[in-house]
Amino acid sequence: MPKKPTMRRGKPTPGPGKRRRHGPRLPTSMRRELDAMGPGPAHGSDDEEGSDAGIEDVYEYEEGVPEEEAGKNGRYDDVAKYEYEFDSDASDADEDVPSEEGEDMEEDDIDDGDDEEKQIRILQETTGMPREAFDGKKRKQALELPLQHGDGDGPVTIHDLLDNIQGKPGYSKVRKRLQQQERKTMTVLAPLPKVERDKIERKVAYKASNKELTKWEQPVKMNREATTLTFENDTNLGVNTVAAIASEFKPRTEFEKRIAEITQSAEIIEAHKNDGARILELNKIDVEDVRERQNRLAKMRSLLFRHEMKAKRVKKIKSRTYHRMLKKDKLKAASADIEADPEAVKEYARKQEFERAEERMTLRHKNTSKWSRRIIERGLTVQDEGTRAAIAAQLQKHAHLTRKMNSTKDDSSSEESSDENEDESDSEAKILNKGKEKIRKVLEEYNEIPNSGVFSLPFMERAMKKREEATYEEARQALEEYDDSLRKLEDDDTEHNEDSYKVAGKRTFGPVKNAHEEVKKRKLEDTENISDSEYDSDTARHLSNNEVITKHDDIQPGSALLDDEPQNDLYKNFSDIIKNPGPKTTFEVGMLAGDSWKKVKSSKGNGQRNVDGSTNKSKVLVPSIVDPKLKQQDHNSDSDSEEDMVEGFLTISDRKEKYELPSQADLICQAFAGDDVEAEFEKDKMDVLNEENPEPEKPALVPGWGQWTDIQQKKGLPSWMLKEHEIAKRNREEALKRRKDSKLKHVIISEHVDKKVEKYLARNLPFPYTSKDVYEQSIRMPIGPDFNPTTSISALTRPAIVKKPGVIIKPIQYEEVNPHEKPNELKRVIQRAIPNRNAKKASAKQGKRVTTQKRK
Amino acid sequence: MRVKVISRSTDDFTRERSQDLQKVFRNYDPGLRSQEKAVEYTRALNAAKLEKIFAKPFVGAMDGHIDAISCMAKNPNHLKAIFSGSMDGDIRLWDIAARKTVCQFPGHQGAVRGLATSTDGDLLVSCGVDCTVRLWKVPMLKMVDTSDHTGDNSQACTGWIETYFLHQQSSHGSMHFLIIFVLTAVRGVDHQWDGNLFATAGAQVDIWDPNRSEPINSFQWGNDTVLSLRFDPGECNILITSASDRSLTLYDLRTSSPARKLIMKTRCNSVCWNPREPMNFTAANEDTNCYSFDARKLDEAKIVHKGHVSAVVFRMDIDYSPTGREFVTGSYDRTVRIFNYFGDHSREIYHTKRMQRVFCVKYTYDGTYLVSGSDDTNLRLWKSKASEQLGVLLPRERKRQEYLDAVKERYKHLPEVKRIDRHRHLPKAIYNAAKLRRTMIEAENQKAERRRKHSTPGSMPVQPFRKRRIIKEVE
Repeated sequence: MPKKPTMRRGKPTPGPGKRRRHGPRLPTSMRRELDAMGPGPAHGSDDEEGSDAGIEDVYEYEEGVPEEEAGKNGRYDDVAKYEYEFDSDASDADEDVPSEEGEDMEEDDIDDGDDEEKQIRILQETTGMPREAFDGKKRKQALELPLQHGDGDGPVTIHDLLDNIQGKPGYSKVRKRLQQQERKTMTVLAPLPKVERDKIERKVAYKASNKELTKWEQPVKMNREATTLTFENDTNLGVNTVAAIASEFKPRTEFEKRIAEITQSAEIIEAHKNDGARILELNKIDVEDVRERQNRLAKMRSLLFRHEMKAKRVKKIKSRTYHRMLKKDKLKAASADIEADPEAVKEYARKQEFERAEERMTLRHKNTSKWSRRIIERGLTVQDEGTRAAIAAQLQKHAHLTRKMNSTKDDSSSEESSDENEDESDSEAKILNKGKEKIRKVLEEYNEIPNSGVFSLPFMERAMKKREEATYEEARQALEEYDDSLRKLEDDDTEHNEDSYKVAGKRTFGPVKNAHEEVKKRKLEDTENISDSEYDSDTARHLSNNEVITKHDDIQPGSALLDDEPQNDLYKNFSDIIKNPGPKTTFEVGMLAGDSWKKVKSSKGNGQRNVDGSTNKSKVLVPSIVDPKLKQQDHNSDSDSEEDMVEGFLTISDRKEKYELPSQADLICQAFAGDDVEAEFEKDKMDVLNEENPEPEKPALVPGWGQWTDIQQKKGLPSWMLKEHEIAKRNREEALKRRKDSKLKHVIISEHVDKKVEKYLARNLPFPYTSKDVYEQSIRMPIGPDFNPTTSISALTRPAIVKKPGVIIKPIQYEEVNPHEKPNELKRVIQRAIPNRNAKKASAKQGKRVTTQKRK
Repeated sequence: MRVKVISRSTDDFTRERSQDLQKVFRNYDPGLRSQEKAVEYTRALNAAKLEKIFAKPFVGAMDGHIDAISCMAKNPNHLKAIFSGSMDGDIRLWDIAARKTVCQFPGHQGAVRGLATSTDGDLLVSCGVDCTVRLWKVPMLKMVDTSDHTGDNSQACTGWIETYFLHQQSSHGSMHFLIIFVLTAVRGVDHQWDGNLFATAGAQVDIWDPNRSEPINSFQWGNDTVLSLRFDPGECNILITSASDRSLTLYDLRTSSPARKLIMKTRCNSVCWNPREPMNFTAANEDTNCYSFDARKLDEAKIVHKGHVSAVVFRMDIDYSPTGREFVTGSYDRTVRIFNYFGDHSREIYHTKRMQRVFCVKYTYDGTYLVSGSDDTNLRLWKSKASEQLGVLLPRERKRQEYLDAVKERYKHLPEVKRIDRHRHLPKAIYNAAKLRRTMIEAENQKAERRRKHSTPGSMPVQPFRKRRIIKEVE
């Protein structure tokens, strides 16, 4: 028996002799009878164990006596015993049978065992067969026991069993085999040495463990291939519906409790349970209350409607003046408010303060704009009056805005007045004949002008208001009178405007500037004409005049919008370009073509006066586009229309006709007669080679060295120096040979390494990549948020491992994975508190295995 | 003349809250941006530089032991708890967050050589040279509401939410519930993951059940002392040991026999399984290298991780990150190194002036910190990523960090980025030792090459380094 480390623990198993028996069993007398009949099943197993001890079989374990057999605590019953139990009902009574009886029985057992031993020994002696043969027989016997219908005496042999199946199919076969076996001597192989046995065992163990480990291959592969592994805690908390959360709500505050009292009162709940009709009953409302509420709502609605209608009507009025006045009204009302209540005053002050702060911060009106800067750069003195005035106005506005709070009011009034002037003039210009309502407004305004002056005095204000109202009423009543008053007003306004001319200067802007512009433009065009000799000055003037005119037309409507000079200038330049692009291009072409062309054109320009600019341009353009060869043909066709030009060309073409014969190559040769390209290239190449593989320096001594004596001088340079030089030369030659362009005559392939570029190149191909292209492809697309939409960034920049702080990451747990499944982009590894079911099963299995080991 | 003004709808440009960021609309047409690569390269370079600037891996030291720390064990249930055993027989439980000793486990008469905890974290097994294996109950870690807590003010004043209850100290006087005396000194112990067995290594390998006083199984293959052992955390019945006969031995508990032995030229001081790849393990060898093996193919190492300069006399320890992507080694050369699981050289080297020979290292269970125990009686806490910003990160910060990392990863092969990324300052002694080592290896290689040149062609085949240190595989 191999001495294996057994896993048996605790008490040693009691031997068969010392076994104590509990539980149901037969009375002794009956047992004895049974014993006499033959060896009992229980005893058979005992024998087996005893005989096992002698067997030298490698593959058999020493079977520990199973617990049920050891009868440790009488929990287990023998099968045989179980059978007997049905026979006797007195098992319970026998429970307390004194131990003597048990001992008796055991003695019997021993005797029985002894008998058998003797028998085997005798058999062994007589037959000379090994002990196993008999043992085996006996074992079989024990197994077949239930079949036995027995005659009690003597052991049962196989032949006895065979008798039973005599005549049945296959009997002869069995008998033959049996005979054969009996004839053969039974040999058992000699057991292997322990070392070998252990080796085999280990091999098996290794195989098993390998198999077990191989099952992990798939999940591990998946994990490795996943671009991201996310380790997360199990966030499933169980509660996930709002209702589930709401069900746990308990009222805590006073209010909540009261609500709960109502909602959870028995009545309400009852009503809910039924059909809800009763809830209505509970929900009593007074009729009066309802009516009142309805009335109130209706009133509100009608008010709202009226207001809406009014707003609509007001909105429909297209008059700018009206709106301006409306705005002013509002302002006035606000100012009245300011007078009336301190809240509004505060509000107003705050607003003012804000504006002031804003102005101080932005300095918007302090010559910071592009326009004003440019004007200042040019010099204010150069500018016309309008511009200066505009600048001044702006500065004034700045001053006003940045002035301290206390003094703002006075300024605002003056501002207003100036505004009004403007408005009035506008209205006068535009809507003289428009509705009377508007006129009334103007009148109102007119009346109000002095009002603003004495703004600071409340009583004055009030008085004014009253008077205004009176006039308003009056005006309404007497409409005819208004016409007269309107006329009067007109006169007043014109006067006003004349005054304002000087101050604002906006109206005067157009004409003044126009004159100015004209002067400028003429100058400009003169210069142009001078430079463009080909350009007909008269036509140009004519054109430019036209331009000026059109420009004025353009400007006049624009002047209201564009009140600054530089913009107009710009505008003018633009229009220039747009209006006459032709001449300019022709000029350039002329320049390209050469001087002769210019001359031709100028002479031609003198001749042609009537021809307009467009035809002129086309004529000039043609030669520049067409090839010199084609030109000749063109000439012939054009000659009749343009005599002057043809002459110019004819002189050239005559010269060229002599060289009709030479081929293309000859032409090129002639063209590049001066320069020897090949030699130059050779030289260039040599330069490059020398630069990249410099020629070794000629061996030379430091002046003064090696020149002490004649002998030294005669000897010349030391041999090592010459040798070194030789080697260097050879190296260079080799290097030159190794170059890629060494055999390519017309090519220079630079092998110069640019250090600056080298910084941005990987020295060798990084590990997982197998080709340069793949690597370059992999870093081609940028991943940053500046180059990619937000939706894709997170996928591009996600790290390989994502873990949350504080999450305990457990070792891998086995999960079946589909081998054909594609590796996922993002794999979540959830750290469950309880391992998943599969793993649990596996561990349970392992646990079982361990327990079986223990029993061995 | 008409002036064209950019017009945008207010809906697109109004923020819901004043704290919201202004929306930025970009045209992602690649034709518009030709410099993107240059921009990203510069960012990568800057990221590499910044990483160097912020690389401050040392978090803190925990002192309390009065002798060198020989072993550590982490608690799978509590992230901030770690056990340490020292050469004078002292075992301590530390609170990493507070960097304080929570309690001590007195009892060992000699050096503690091995510590292990059960998966539920309730049981601590220790063993030592005093020929005992001791089982301890770990004090409970409970949630305590500090506002309600009125009784024990010594704990309340610290203000932690979690507090250990030292429940047995008062009643029994000692905390261990089982002492097992064995015949020889015990060199190592490990507990199964998701199982209830533990194993000890000494003259033989014993498998124990915590409820029995005798081993349920014991293995012996050869007569040499087993130095260390580890259970496979994925496959809890497989076990690997390293022994002083320069062997690595695989055991399988199910067949209750050893499975395979591998003999190398030098012995392995410590082994560790990859927790996320149950077939792979890494052994820290005495020749200063770590060898990663596939347990199914032991004839050659998968990867040789080089870097340490000294591991000669006593031991070199190794522990895997729970993510399985890197591992940490501590060595006799007074450094802690972090390796990628497939990297042949260390990613990171940690050292301080006062840290002496490192006997044991552990990765915490969240993969963010390392703990090293060294000869100078201190436990040291390190960050696993030296420049990582700890604490709560805003989503924007996190995204930016991710972007920078990604960009750096992309351009890490370019010379500038690589140089900055790889640059480390080392103590002079280590630097010189590394240089010397390099010279020695070069000389060795050259010698081999010359020999090869002067011998019959084919008689001295070139062996890859992965196989060179392996003598044979014993069945």
